[in-house]
Amino acid sequence: MAADFSTIDKLGTALTYHRERQTVLAGNVANLDTPGYRPMDLERHRPDAPQIKMVTDALGQLGAVTGSDTGELVTTFDDGGALQGSDGNAVTLEREMAKIDANRTRYAANTELVSRRFAMMKYAAGDGT
Amino acid sequence: MDFFTAMEVSASGLSAERTRMNVAASNLANAQTTQADGGGPYKRRDVVLSSVQVAGAQGTPYQQAVRGVAVSSIAQDKNPPRLEYDPGHPQANAQGYVAYPNVNPVEEMVDMITASRAYEAGVTSMSTAVNMAERALGIGK
Repeated sequence: MAADFSTIDKLGTALTYHRERQTVLAGNVANLDTPGYRPMDLERHRPDAPQIKMVTDALGQLGAVTGSDTGELVTTFDDGGALQGSDGNAVTLEREMAKIDANRTRYAANTELVSRRFAMMKYAAGDGT
Repeated sequence: MDFFTAMEVSASGLSAERTRMNVAASNLANAQTTQADGGGPYKRRDVVLSSVQVAGAQGTPYQQAVRGVAVSSIAQDKNPPRLEYDPGHPQANAQGYVAYPNVNPVEEMVDMITASRAYEAGVTSMSTAVNMAERALGIGK
């Protein structure tokens, strides 16, 4: 069986998404006082989301995730419940900070998963030593 | 688009908030200035912010979503000056009134506090980007 990097590739896509989302959310915080500014957000576009599932290989081990996550990033408009001030600005600081924190935690979790995956490969390559 | 773009966006916010802080300080300092450049009392300044596209996001499909902020102008407040009766003042007019700047110190203090809080939020969002970049560098260690 050839080396399976598909999990790492998918985790890499997730890392890219969280990195780009951080940029967009940073823009919302930067525009906290810009009149008429509407907050933005990024959402992952997954047309085949229901098809993504864990599969087992011939040895019954948990393997790759099937279904192609194109990893396309789509701009979404987030009105945050349209709570806007008298200057037309609809950014809620608490909401944006919560999103930034959650996004950072997901990023950290994904980097950890990539690290573990590499550690497993290293373990296998070293014949379990 | 990399982490430096996120930092660039946060930095634009920080510099805008710093400008607001400077202008509020200038308004407070000149709250009693009866003679400014061009004659007449000092006129209150206001920072006008606008969201701008970021160079680092150009050419990506979501460049519209990544918005930095820039100071588009520093405008003068059009409210009339505050008139106070003080016939002995050297700048008093024929009726004995002195024109004082249209600055309300309480309003400036509120502006300073909001600018300072927004600056803190910007710093947090920038350090989040730095933290994420460090995480990425730690993969495989």
